[in-house]
Amino acid sequence: MSGIHIDDVSRQFGDFTALEEVQLQVREGEFFSLLGPSGCGKTTLLNLIAGFLDPTRGRIMIGGKDVTGLPPYRRGLGIVFQDYALFPHLSVFDNVAYGLRIRKQPKKEIKRRVEEMLALVQLSSMADRRPHQLSGGQRQRVAIARALAIEPSVLLLDEPLSNLDAKLRKAMQTELRTIQRRTGVTTVLVTHDQEEALSLSDRIGILGHGRLQQVGTPLEVYRRPANRFVADFIGQVNLIQTAVAAERSTGRNRHAAIDYEIAAGVPLLLETTGSAEGSGLYMIRPERIKIALTAGNSGEANRAPGVISHVGYAGDQVRLHVQLAGKGELQVVASDPLFPVLPSAGDRCELYWDAEDVIALPPEGV
Amino acid sequence: MLLLSRRKGCRVVARNTVVRRTLSFYWLMLSPALLFLLAFLVVPFIMLIVLSFREVDSLLNVLPSYSLKNYTEIFTSASYLTTIRSTLGVAALTTVIVIIAAYPAAYLLVRTGSKGLRTFFYILLISPLLTSVVIRTFAWIVIMAQNGLLNEALLKLHLIDKPLSLLWSMKAVVIAYVQVMLPFAVLPIATSMGEIQPKLRQASMSLGAGRIRTFFKVTFPLTLPGLLSGAAIVFSLAAGSYITPLLVGGRLQPLLPLSIYQQAVQVFNMPFAAALSMTLLVLVAIVVGLISWISKRWEARLHD
Repeated sequence: MSGIHIDDVSRQFGDFTALEEVQLQVREGEFFSLLGPSGCGKTTLLNLIAGFLDPTRGRIMIGGKDVTGLPPYRRGLGIVFQDYALFPHLSVFDNVAYGLRIRKQPKKEIKRRVEEMLALVQLSSMADRRPHQLSGGQRQRVAIARALAIEPSVLLLDEPLSNLDAKLRKAMQTELRTIQRRTGVTTVLVTHDQEEALSLSDRIGILGHGRLQQVGTPLEVYRRPANRFVADFIGQVNLIQTAVAAERSTGRNRHAAIDYEIAAGVPLLLETTGSAEGSGLYMIRPERIKIALTAGNSGEANRAPGVISHVGYAGDQVRLHVQLAGKGELQVVASDPLFPVLPSAGDRCELYWDAEDVIALPPEGV
Repeated sequence: MLLLSRRKGCRVVARNTVVRRTLSFYWLMLSPALLFLLAFLVVPFIMLIVLSFREVDSLLNVLPSYSLKNYTEIFTSASYLTTIRSTLGVAALTTVIVIIAAYPAAYLLVRTGSKGLRTFFYILLISPLLTSVVIRTFAWIVIMAQNGLLNEALLKLHLIDKPLSLLWSMKAVVIAYVQVMLPFAVLPIATSMGEIQPKLRQASMSLGAGRIRTFFKVTFPLTLPGLLSGAAIVFSLAAGSYITPLLVGGRLQPLLPLSIYQQAVQVFNMPFAAALSMTLLVLVAIVVGLISWISKRWEARLHD
């Protein structure tokens, strides 16, 4: 077991820069996810860790050892591929035994280890089957068993669940996490599925435009996104670009009270934490905005009257679009029990929110 | 309701008629080719089988009686048994060498990234097939003759004192065969190699296998269907070719096609030539049948 240290790694393909100056530390025993939209460079980073690609610049260390330039077969990593990549000519047993046979382990030891791995993924009864006789979920588990059989220092998962249907994916997520906890292997999951990353990982690294945008726990990246890219990519968000109308220091906890306009001609008083001097980009999550259908009695400092322009009922929650007086529009997510009767488009309402739920984002281009 | 079902019935009938009409149209389109095959392949083939059981008199006139005499002569004469053995041996040796030589070429075809370069390699591989086998084989005479290119070069380099005798031997036959038949093995092997998911090689490498072990444990088993169909083609061509061994090996080499030619054109013993032909055909059929049986077994292992 060992951590991964990615030290200032860049990778170019001709003129195209797939990854730029990535600095990342994956801790020992950690479940780490690399999350990003397609084309963000996450697969390139995985291939660099695996050794299928070499970095143009920088170093990669695994377990304190510099592996830059080392071929994949010398790195001792377990990799689970998106389409499983099971050997079609070998049985389940032989697939799992593959790495052990390459390592010339004694037959008895191979048998013991393969049986142990198949028990871990609950496929002991399938040892003699061939990959094409298995379901997608079973193939996935064989691929995990095969990767873990060689006792890898690091387990790399390349979009391992994207070929499974939604229900099976949920089940496999739980299983993946259980297996990871039980073996304690340092795991790097590459995914474009934010929910998967949020629910499985200890920490997440968000990649966008070839750069590491933010590294943090699921809570941190969701609640305190480092920039517009992360805020926009993870979850739903109201991004508010405003002009700072006036700034007054209240002196209380060094909070700055900022007058800004949420839409032309609609000034809003907001108390924001952090220093947002001069910056005019804010975000607030739709589920952080509270809604009252009767105006004027909320008593909150931050409030705005509006008109509901769209109602989307999703069972457990209701998604609303609220047109503020003027041009601005906010998305609001409210839980179902809040409304005895569903509001309809055209209804008047009042929105209010806590000051700490409004997050200042650094200006664009940083 | 009644109306509806009747109308449905009408449609079914109409569709059947259409199907029947298209089918008969296909047969019509096929009939020239089928007639051609019947007249120039099936009929002569049956005649050949019948002829092989005929006897001849001392003047080599074909007699109306039937016997197994031709076949007993082939399978009891030491010289014909040697011929059979060396025919199969040369074909097998050629097949093995061609397969070994075909793998690097197939690998190059499949792994070349640039599309233009790959097209160039394909053209390079196929272009010999555009010229006649006589010309291709004749080129080997130019290279391997006593005063040929190879001997001249070796003499100039003072590697040898006197010219090597390369032509008119089985060695020369095998060398020429390998060159002539290489494309027939490269193409099917390249095809099955191209169908292997690149991820499989990556998976093998991630599990600790280097390139060579990955080849033998993943690439080779998965290209076996291509290898076997290439082997079947090369083996049957090598066992049945006549021009190549005649030109570079000489007419006295113990090879069945040369013996058949001798019996049919020089000795003019048609029934015996027919019996030799049938012997060659059956032997090749057995080998090719065996190869395709192995291939089917292997495919079943992969997919059923």
